[in-house]
Amino acid sequence: MIVAEQKPLEEIKELIADAERVLIVGCGTCVTVCFAGGAKEAAILGSTLRMATRLDGHGKAIDEVTVQRQCEWEYIDPLEARLDDYDLILSLGCGIGVQTLAERFPDKPVVPGLNTVFMGLPVEQGVWEERCQACGDCILGLTAGICPIARCSKQLLNGPCGGSQDGRCEVDESIPCAWQLIYERAKALGRLDKLLEIQPPKDWSKSRDGGPRRVVREDLRLTHRVAEVAGGER
Amino acid sequence: MTEFTPEIVAFCCRHCAYAAADLAGSLRIQYPPNVKVVEVPCTGRLDIVEVLHAFERGVDGVMAAG
Repeated sequence: MIVAEQKPLEEIKELIADAERVLIVGCGTCVTVCFAGGAKEAAILGSTLRMATRLDGHGKAIDEVTVQRQCEWEYIDPLEARLDDYDLILSLGCGIGVQTLAERFPDKPVVPGLNTVFMGLPVEQGVWEERCQACGDCILGLTAGICPIARCSKQLLNGPCGGSQDGRCEVDESIPCAWQLIYERAKALGRLDKLLEIQPPKDWSKSRDGGPRRVVREDLRLTHRVAEVAGGER
Repeated sequence: MTEFTPEIVAFCCRHCAYAAADLAGSLRIQYPPNVKVVEVPCTGRLDIVEVLHAFERGVDGVMAAG
C-alpha cells in the first residue's frame, strides 16, 4: 500500500488560509488503512479545522467527503456537482490523489493534507515499513524475496557494505541490514548459490532516471479497440 | 460576574451508566441541568469524532461513562 502521514495542523491551516469554503476529500483505499486520510481522519480534521479557524477569529465553512479511490476518474467525477460550493479542495489522498483531483478539476485549487511517504506494509499495528521503490526492474527473484533497492540504505546489489554490524545498518541501528536478511533467508532456503552470481550495475533507465514513466497496454485501450473494430468492418 | 457553569455532555453506556442514570431518575434523585446525557450502545462505540463534534458545538467538557 501507499503509506502517508498527515501534515502538521499549522501547515494545513496555512495551505487553506486564502479559502473561506473548504471541501476535505478523503480516500477510501491506501490512506484509509494507514489511518492517514480515510473518512474518520477527514471527519477529525474537519472538526479540528472548524474549531481552530474559529478560535483564530476567521471560522471557515469546512465539509468532508470520502471517495473510494482518489486515483481514478470514475470515483472522483461525482464530486464535480458539489464543487461550486467550495473555494478549495483539501485532499487527504496520496500525491496521486491530489494530482488526479487537480487534473480533473482545473478551476479548483487543490492542496495536500498528507505527506506521501512510501510504498510498504504495516509490520505490526501502528508501524509501517518501506518495501518497494518501484524501480521498474524487479530483482526480488535474485535476492531471496527481500529488496536491496528499497531496504539497503546504499541500494547495493552484491552483498553488504562494511557498515553492516550485527545485522544492523550503519545509517541507523533501527534499520535491519537488508543483505544480512537476504543472506539468512537464502541460507534457510538452501539457495545461497544464487547469491554468488555477480549482478551488473542496475539499469536505472527503467526507474526515475528515465523521467516520468508510463505503462501502455494496447490490448486494454478502448480507443485501440474502436479503431480495430472500425478497421475490421472496412 | 456570574459563576462559570460548564456545559457537559455525558456519553453513557446503555448497559451500566445510562441504566444507573435511569434508576437515579426513578428514585427522583436530582442531577445538574448542565449535564446532558447521551445514550450510547457501549462506550466502546464512542469515537473521537463524536467528542470533537460535542466540543465544536460549544460544550466545555465531555464525560464517557461506562
